[in-house]
Amino acid sequence: MIPKALIHHGRQLGTFLGLIFLCLILWILTPYFLTVSNLLNILEQSSINATIAVGMTFVIITAGIDLSVGSILAFSGVVLASTLQAGVPLPVALLAGMLTGTLCGLLNGALISIGRLPPFIVTLGMMSIARGAALVYTNGRPISGFEQSFRWIATGKIFYIPMPLIVMFIVYFIAHIVLTRTKFGQYAYAMGGNEEATYLSGVNVRFHKTMVYALCGLTSAFAAILLTARLNSAQPIAGIMYELDAIAATVIGGTSLMGGEGTLVGTLIGALIMGVLRNGLNILGVSSFLQQIIIGTVIIIAVLLDTIMKKQKR
Amino acid sequence: MKKILIFLGAIFILFMGCNRENDRTNDSEKIRIALVLKTLNSPFFIDLKSGAEQAAKQLNVELIVQAPEREIDVEKQMQIIENLIQTRVDAICVSPSGSKELIPAMAKANQANIPVLIVDTRIDENIANSEGVTTTTFIGSDNYQGGKIAGEYVAKLSQGEMNVVILEGIPGHETGDNRLRGFKESIEKFPNIHVVASQPANWERDQGYNVMQNLLQAHPDIDAVFACNDLMALGAMEAIIAGGKSEKIKIIGFDAVEEARNEITTGNLEASVAQHPAEMGRLAIENAVKVLNGEKIPTFIPVKIELITRQTSEENLR
Amino acid sequence: MKEINSNQSQKLLEMRKISKSFPGVLALDNVDFDLNAGEVHALVGENGAGKSTLMKILSGAHQADIGMIRMEGRTLKIHNPRIAQDSGISTIYQEFNLIPHLSIASNIFLGHEPKQFAGFISKKIMTKETINILAELGLSINPDILVRNLNVAQQQMVEVAKALIYHAKILIMDEPTSALTTAEIETLFATIRSIQLKGVGIIYISHRLEELFQIANRVTVLRDGKSVGVFKISEVNKKDLIRLMADRDLKEYYPRIRSKVGKTILKVSHLNRGNYLKEISFHLKQGEVLGIAGLLGAGRTELAQAIFGVNQIETGKIFVKNSPADIISPRKAIKAGIGFLTEDRKHSGLVLKMSVKDNISLPNLDKLSKYGFLKRKDLKNISLKFIEEFRIKTPGINQKVMNLSGGNQQKVVLSKWIARNLDILIFDEPTRGIDVASKVEIYNLMNQLTAQGVGIIMISSELPEILGMSDRILVMHDGKITAEFDANNVDQETLLAKALGEVA
Repeated sequence: MIPKALIHHGRQLGTFLGLIFLCLILWILTPYFLTVSNLLNILEQSSINATIAVGMTFVIITAGIDLSVGSILAFSGVVLASTLQAGVPLPVALLAGMLTGTLCGLLNGALISIGRLPPFIVTLGMMSIARGAALVYTNGRPISGFEQSFRWIATGKIFYIPMPLIVMFIVYFIAHIVLTRTKFGQYAYAMGGNEEATYLSGVNVRFHKTMVYALCGLTSAFAAILLTARLNSAQPIAGIMYELDAIAATVIGGTSLMGGEGTLVGTLIGALIMGVLRNGLNILGVSSFLQQIIIGTVIIIAVLLDTIMKKQKR
Repeated sequence: MKKILIFLGAIFILFMGCNRENDRTNDSEKIRIALVLKTLNSPFFIDLKSGAEQAAKQLNVELIVQAPEREIDVEKQMQIIENLIQTRVDAICVSPSGSKELIPAMAKANQANIPVLIVDTRIDENIANSEGVTTTTFIGSDNYQGGKIAGEYVAKLSQGEMNVVILEGIPGHETGDNRLRGFKESIEKFPNIHVVASQPANWERDQGYNVMQNLLQAHPDIDAVFACNDLMALGAMEAIIAGGKSEKIKIIGFDAVEEARNEITTGNLEASVAQHPAEMGRLAIENAVKVLNGEKIPTFIPVKIELITRQTSEENLR
Repeated sequence: MKEINSNQSQKLLEMRKISKSFPGVLALDNVDFDLNAGEVHALVGENGAGKSTLMKILSGAHQADIGMIRMEGRTLKIHNPRIAQDSGISTIYQEFNLIPHLSIASNIFLGHEPKQFAGFISKKIMTKETINILAELGLSINPDILVRNLNVAQQQMVEVAKALIYHAKILIMDEPTSALTTAEIETLFATIRSIQLKGVGIIYISHRLEELFQIANRVTVLRDGKSVGVFKISEVNKKDLIRLMADRDLKEYYPRIRSKVGKTILKVSHLNRGNYLKEISFHLKQGEVLGIAGLLGAGRTELAQAIFGVNQIETGKIFVKNSPADIISPRKAIKAGIGFLTEDRKHSGLVLKMSVKDNISLPNLDKLSKYGFLKRKDLKNISLKFIEEFRIKTPGINQKVMNLSGGNQQKVVLSKWIARNLDILIFDEPTRGIDVASKVEIYNLMNQLTAQGVGIIMISSELPEILGMSDRILVMHDGKITAEFDANNVDQETLLAKALGEVA
């Protein structure tokens, strides 16, 4: 008899095995892959995409999509940077960045749930608007050079663990609890599974849908904090194409674009798969052109396997 | 399903096991030098790469070349450097996509005792100093000087009032900023030359095309265009030809890549400031080897810069 | 001289010893079924008895594990729907397979468009043939009309035409009358009879046993995956069929036990909404079952939606327990104490991907959570309670509802509303597509609810059900309430007449 846990988490287990398989291959191909410092390296490099993917997971679970995460990241980042340089205390500056991201997300959510506009179109528009806002706000120039107290978010360590990892895990932990143990999380699954039935069950769909997109804006802002601290610079052109990596991580992790199912554990594994892949290909010296082909292929294979497994279940 | 995966996996492993060139078991073999560029999508960097590859061959060192797909992807470049550090390369030559943003990555190289040589675009010295990051040398052209030469040439061309448009690179790139400054400051002295527009096209050809097209709409009386690199100049050139104004508008680029030189010969482009990217690449590898052998090298190794026009290219051909 | 005798005694269709199992369940066990040319052969059985599986095997959607299919003497291996279709087997499903934004002609010829040279579709031929086939069915509609602009009965005719165009020899009709008016049913029967004359064999699946006696020649009863009898329709009556289907002697097909009627809990006055609702006024008392009868399009579901806040009323007032209620959304309606079991549970009643537990708790999460956090134990207990109380057949509370049968799904829907302890429940077609045993259970539940003082509004298209389970009956026609009766003092014909809009 298959243990209950395996049935529930079968999909995540499969993705996890995929990650292990990938690591195994890389371990055989190069001795530089499986070292502690490289693994920490990978986790650090994946942290930004993984953080964005948290919000993206919620959005896709509601059967929506958010193409504006990269632009929101850029806009939040430059607002954060400018307030930091204006001498504002660190917590306030962080708040300013987070607020920027959340407001952009709120706007997305409102247009989608109250305005009844398709998420693809709304977030496509926001992608442009937030990017433009970032460029206008900074006149196109990056804002660089921050205090060590801020940079510590990316460069610091607690018990030898790099800070970005700690931030990422905290975000995932909290988000996981919200998704699996709160009303809000349940409503997200329900709206994605059948929005009409959820509405007719008396759930305030408008409000909760809007909040999901606001959450996605917030996680993009978190990612902006990490990125800005890491590069010591906030560029208005940062984050271009980041939405694709976030969607890829979410989908590889088992979240269905049709909505109603998905887990954050899966998304984290998906983000790690992408991070391991990129890192491994770099280390193997594979040209960046070939890298693009390989990564695209992996995404397609992952989704293909997922579809096949789902068909077999029936 | 699982069985199939295991089977495929076993085959893959077997196949890959026969092909392990990248495996380094001890350190006493060839020196490994990494060359990290802004992108490989640009003729300039391709030339740089071939110069480096030639030098590597001659000096019998292993050369690893990596770059992100686009020059704007700073985070990617940082990841590449971090990953190369993991493979314990002996030296890193880098053309940074972000003069300030890559400094943290160089700090990691410092920590791993890997010497860093900067090529083509300077990093921000102030920030580097305050962070305690050291680089061995800068190999490149004086971009300010290059911009100045271009400006002086434009001044020479001018007869009476002249309207000039500038296509900038990615803002914040030291290369672009210096070229721009050099150009602007040199034409400041000439009151008959007016800069009617100055817009970034992010080093990219298609953006050069689009921006130029829009500028042609907004300013019907453009006499000359200075683009901070050839790709943008070539894009602008195509927009100008499409707009039927190629007789009137003179285009000056920067980098003097092969295609630009051809267009200069045919007359579509007026001139370009030649860097010598292949030379840069060669010097980068040669000096990296010197550093690894314990030799001292200068902190600034200039690579000459000159203006290529139809005349000068014809002279060269003779 | 060639012997042609054998052809005449040859059956149009023979299915022998068909067995099929799915993970965990034996859907069909050694079933025999046959069909003569020009015959209407009814197939009856509870939901889950195996009817749809048997038909899916015939139409190529499934393959039997064991068994053989012969058509006109030739063995057929039906690997996919295309082979079935090419062999002359067509199916008309309950939910039509039509494309709403294409025309009648396009739908009829979908996938088999007549082509001219170079592969272009010949619209002329398509239109002409469509007109022909529709005429054969007694219809003269413009073939260019978009399917979405047709009413249900007309769409069904398009489906029939589709089948005939493919020269169907066997036509499977699955619950063909569930969405039709009585007049439309007569037309359908006339059409079926005309097709019979052409030698087409029809397999007729329906829960409406009365109809079978009008249209079928033979009937096969399936129960629990086995065939329990094949009869000429003249050999059996409805009771016999029910007994065979359920193996139970259901004395009370409609076991209504009236409860004590209390105060008025819902009063609706002068509700208006465009063309859908005109001057609707009525009241509902505690412990009462108010049936709402009427034909498709009369406005019954629109009335329910108006009371539940799904659609905004233009004028009129709603009073719950004598105080005015401003019901502008389902959320408000639920707060006021009203629940709504929709017509289409799969579409708007359940989140199919989610578990039994999650569906039951969905409208109740604000009561089952503290500071936003779910009280998991309470969620579990409530689900277990209802599974036991309502005898919901499921391996566990975490089973996805899409894997349950229709009857059990409906019980989950009921559970989620009852968990809320509402005073007023609106049931819209509560037993549609449900097996007989579950139907009875739901009726018993209704009795329990009214005994507790709940007021129930029941919308149903099955007049026997309305008569059997209501205390009072309202008849709606064209957006108005045209009559009110005590259920004991009215018969089916009168109800039907009022539903049709007759004044007398």
